[in-house]
Amino acid sequence: MGHPGEGLLLGMGATRAQSSGPEKIEVFIDDQPVMVPPGTTVLQAAAEAGVEIPRFCYHERLSVAGNCRMCLVEVEKSVKPVAACAMPVMKGWRIKTDSDMTRKAREGVMEFLLINHPLDCPICDQGGECDLQDQSMAFGSDRSRFLDNKRAVEDKNIGPLVKTIMTRCIHCTRCVRFASEVAGVEDLGTTGRGSDMQIGTYVEKMLMSELSGNVIDLCPVGALTSKPYAFTARPWEIRRTDSVDVMDAVGSNIVVNHRTGEVLRILPRTNEEINEEWLSDKSRFACDGLKRQRLVYPMVKDSSGELRPCQWEDALLVAGRALAAAQGSVAAVAGGLADAESLVALKDLVNKLGGEATCTEEIFPEDGSGTDLRSSYLLNTTIAGVEEADLVLLVGTNPRFEAPLFNARLRKAWVHNELDVAVLGPNVNLTYEAEHIGEDPAIIEKLLSGTHPFSQRLKAARRPMVVVGSALLSRPDGGLLYARLQQLAHQLRAGCEGGAEWRVLNVLHRVASQVAALDLGYTPGVSKVRNAPPQVLYLLGADEGAITREDLPADCLVIYQGHHGDRGAEMADVVLPGAAYTEKMATYVNTEGRAQQAQAALVPPGMAREDWKIIRALSEVVGAQLPYDNLAEVRDRLTEVSPNLTRYGDVEEANYFAQASALAQLVKGKQEAAPIDVPQKVLEDFYMTNSVSRASPTMAKCIAAIKKEAANRHRDK
Amino acid sequence: MATLSRFAPVLRTTLNRGISSIMVKRDSSNKVYGPLADEDRIFTNLYGRHDWRLSGAMGRGDWYKTKEILNKGHEWILGEIKTSGLRGRGGAGFPTGMKWSFMNKPSDGRPKYLVVNADEGEPGTCKDREIMRHDPHKLVEGCLVAGRAMGARAAYIYIRGEFYNEASNMQVAINEAYKAGFLGKNACGSGYDFDVFMHRGAGAYICGEETALIESLEGKQGKPRLKPPFPADIGVFGCPTTVANVETVAVAPTICRRGGSWFASLGRTRNSGTKLFNISGHVNNPCTVEEEMSVPLKELIERHAGGVTGGWDNLLGVIPGGSSTPVIPKQVCEEAIMDFDGLVACQTSLGTAAVIVMNKQTDIVKAIARLIEFYKHESCGQCTPCREGVNWMYKIMTRFVKGDAQPEEIDALWEVSKQIEGHTICALGDGAAWPVQGLIRHFRPVLEERMANYAAANAVAN
Amino acid sequence: MASYFGIDKIFKALRIIRDHGGIRASLYQLYRVDDLKDGTLVGEDAMGNKYYENKQLTLGRNRWVIYNPSVGTDYDGSMVPAEWFGWLHHKTDQPPTKVAPTSYGWQSGHQMNVTGTADAYMPYSTTKPKVEAWTPPKAA
Repeated sequence: MGHPGEGLLLGMGATRAQSSGPEKIEVFIDDQPVMVPPGTTVLQAAAEAGVEIPRFCYHERLSVAGNCRMCLVEVEKSVKPVAACAMPVMKGWRIKTDSDMTRKAREGVMEFLLINHPLDCPICDQGGECDLQDQSMAFGSDRSRFLDNKRAVEDKNIGPLVKTIMTRCIHCTRCVRFASEVAGVEDLGTTGRGSDMQIGTYVEKMLMSELSGNVIDLCPVGALTSKPYAFTARPWEIRRTDSVDVMDAVGSNIVVNHRTGEVLRILPRTNEEINEEWLSDKSRFACDGLKRQRLVYPMVKDSSGELRPCQWEDALLVAGRALAAAQGSVAAVAGGLADAESLVALKDLVNKLGGEATCTEEIFPEDGSGTDLRSSYLLNTTIAGVEEADLVLLVGTNPRFEAPLFNARLRKAWVHNELDVAVLGPNVNLTYEAEHIGEDPAIIEKLLSGTHPFSQRLKAARRPMVVVGSALLSRPDGGLLYARLQQLAHQLRAGCEGGAEWRVLNVLHRVASQVAALDLGYTPGVSKVRNAPPQVLYLLGADEGAITREDLPADCLVIYQGHHGDRGAEMADVVLPGAAYTEKMATYVNTEGRAQQAQAALVPPGMAREDWKIIRALSEVVGAQLPYDNLAEVRDRLTEVSPNLTRYGDVEEANYFAQASALAQLVKGKQEAAPIDVPQKVLEDFYMTNSVSRASPTMAKCIAAIKKEAANRHRDK
Repeated sequence: MATLSRFAPVLRTTLNRGISSIMVKRDSSNKVYGPLADEDRIFTNLYGRHDWRLSGAMGRGDWYKTKEILNKGHEWILGEIKTSGLRGRGGAGFPTGMKWSFMNKPSDGRPKYLVVNADEGEPGTCKDREIMRHDPHKLVEGCLVAGRAMGARAAYIYIRGEFYNEASNMQVAINEAYKAGFLGKNACGSGYDFDVFMHRGAGAYICGEETALIESLEGKQGKPRLKPPFPADIGVFGCPTTVANVETVAVAPTICRRGGSWFASLGRTRNSGTKLFNISGHVNNPCTVEEEMSVPLKELIERHAGGVTGGWDNLLGVIPGGSSTPVIPKQVCEEAIMDFDGLVACQTSLGTAAVIVMNKQTDIVKAIARLIEFYKHESCGQCTPCREGVNWMYKIMTRFVKGDAQPEEIDALWEVSKQIEGHTICALGDGAAWPVQGLIRHFRPVLEERMANYAAANAVAN
Repeated sequence: MASYFGIDKIFKALRIIRDHGGIRASLYQLYRVDDLKDGTLVGEDAMGNKYYENKQLTLGRNRWVIYNPSVGTDYDGSMVPAEWFGWLHHKTDQPPTKVAPTSYGWQSGHQMNVTGTADAYMPYSTTKPKVEAWTPPKAA
């Protein structure tokens, strides 16, 4: 696999910060002067001047193809129009974006695109958000001269997520470029020549990528549309709510598209710092899980041991009486989808009742500085910071499936910035070339002492990054290994070019709630609960089975609060229905430590309520009333505990590496011999990782399709 | 299609001048060019009557004092080429000296390459194959000389896949040259290292376009790249590259030996030298012949091809430069002069100098429709106007052959061809548009008559 | 004379009380129907409702029904079957006891209005619910 971007030097997102570029040159867009740096394309210069040039194939995050020819513009003294997307401006050029020549060229291209495009807009899912529709209205002719037969192309089955109607394809090759450049799968390509050219997978196979849904957004026409969303709604019927994704710890920005109390689809929202404009398939397509397996009414176990629906009053009374009777023997376990507001409310309640154990399901070692220093559990370099790194060491993580968009960043830097990636752990396919150092945990010690061959590379790196995955941290000897990695990172930091500003140590979390929980003082891991089982255990969306009925005494009352009926609800005595991430105003902190707000797109279904309100109501029943009555007051409380939790959009600086490293030296322990492993190795493992995605029929279809794909004789084994 | 690189924008401005300029302005001297004297021929084994191997080639003067030429340095070679006024023989007619000098920028550490375009696929053109099968050493030596002129490390000869014998002869010649020490390390003892590689294409016309050729050479789909960056900056394998036609490269050693001024003395100014003309179609003796530039078309046909079948008066029209140049009717042919400027004045182009003669028994509409079918088949499908437009033109042309169309569609076809021309990434779109434009420009009455006949026949049938 | 002093009204009241079966029964009748009046029993329907008439009384109050005592106060206007409804509401002066109503084979028996009872008709949605609720697994 070569660097696909090699030959395509123009217009690629030159991401490494340009150091004081050369002098700007002046060009004229429709007689309006603009100063642009040399190498700017005509299209970019026009954008600078506020003139939008129509385009189909051009996309600022993909290489320039220049094949749709829609962006042709006249340049004074040039005999033929130039393709604005590919042509760099020269000093003094006078570009005419609305001259006769330009308009004729556009009209001509538009006519050519439309002669073989079916007139099926009324049954096309792209209708209303179709570039071809919009641009033909703006730039096309009002009549047709085409008297012959249109071309028809057979549709292809490329999996359960992307629906293809290939007759509509205008061959812009955006999807091909996305697949090979961003997603890093060489599955899509063109076959045939001339008017027989087709976009496809060469042979009938599935588009096996965790980012495949993005080709739907990229396709300027209705050739690639969303299969789960097919024939569901028109864009003008949809209400849009900006929100934040919780399927992984990246915190991708999303737009929830909903209508009449139903989430119809989820689209990405541009955030250059996090997800750019991509979205992983789980974040995009698992939203149908929000409509299944929901907890819509409170439930209490009856005498026969079965959960029965009841009124809020009954459930709160049962829970409240138990909590009051427990006399402080109360513990809480928070799951991966919990928001900061409910986390703080629950912690306050448990503490007020005299309980100490507030835990998270995800494990993080307590050795050394543990979670006391914020810098020890964050992705300190930030996601965008990857583009400045020149060497990344991944330890016990498979970012491709744990954080697909972080992996996309790594790949972007690998393609454009000659980033080198090394993997310590299983040799998984990361979509780019990575040096596999080994799986033996002893290598960490060798790296620290400088005796491993790779140490030289690490030392020589100007801006190295060490990314530690939660799979490593949850090992029994995770504390020891992590302490050594902290020391290693601190060592590297001293030598590297980035200096004090450059942070080497990074932790890549898997779940959306973890950083907020740690910020709020939750104890990672449930060992506390297991060692001293409480009389009442409060599960806040804890569905991963970290603690089971068998770990608890028989008389322990389990309260489950959450939105899905999953492992947590199954073991509960009292079920309190909460709200999913699309149904509440809530704070989530991503793995970088960036607080973001999810907005309520819908109201919670049935009798379900916002999570912090449930806890607040319960506190009143117990008689330990929490001192906040509205969201603003809860957030004041959040600010009180950890001010960064309400600084939305910003990454809070964390910088106590030296101290953490010093404490890490004290960590002693026995190193296990078991090789470093990650739970998600292949695409099949990616789709179902939390209660929402487990309830999603689309995710189930994906897994079924991949299982079926194993029998495809065309696929490389 | 060694020819696709031909349509440099420089020429296009002049191409659509008014019909008034059809009358060719000869040089003030009123000199008549041609026939070429035997001592001025460069390709002395064009018909394969002599030995094409090294010994025979050396007997004909190849590899003579090549070391001395090389040792004179690239400035001198470039100077001679510039003096000679040699223009690219692949069709575009870009001044060769200037093109090669683009490569002489200070090196940034990347090697430079010469790529020889031997993907001769243009219908009607058969000049390069004659060189490669009968005089391969001319090309091998040319690679060395041209490579020296631009400081190239190696030359790649991208040869059309169908040219099996030509490729094998070329390979034999390259091997002979290596054996004789003319190539490889210290080529010809000049202290200059130079390699020549053969690469066989798989038979796509579009791979004769220089950037598509580069893509294909790199092992990708042969689809033209966007320019800029030009191959002189980023070419094959990301290195500075010059793509040159076989004939251009093959004449370089002779120019260096005999001097640029000799070459310049042949033909009109700015159109100097000798040229291989391929005459095919309705002539009594189709042939490839080396002739002086600026020879009148009529003399070329009468002298070398034995005249038009059925006599000159039976001539319908001529496609003077390979399939992608516009056809010219008989009255234009009378005065046409076979060089770059002379044919531009006739609203056509010299192209590869592949003269396709059609007499009055030709169904001109069908002939052009067949050409369009060729272009439709060979369009790479990358950019919209060519992919969709050529196919559309083909559909219209198939109906025109029967006459199953309205006269207004002739204007529509004209506009469609104009919408393709100049709007595509490479020149294939232009090459497909021009035959149609030539047809409409000169043979519109034929089209209209056919439509009228068809309408009349169908009216009776109804 | 007795009417001059209104004594006849006392007699009448006493008679009515007697006809109703004593003071206790009369008080119950008052409690049950807010009225106590004398009249002729015209007939009784299949459900045990009794129909009375007193032509002395003003129009609109001269025909009435006393529901089957078994329903207590839980009676409803729709307990009157169709054949008695016409007589009761002065659509006709012929009670079904005098002119038997025509009966057809397609007629179903009388049923009272079941609104508000467990038998009431409840329209239900035929569309799938937007949110599918979780059903807890059965305890082992």
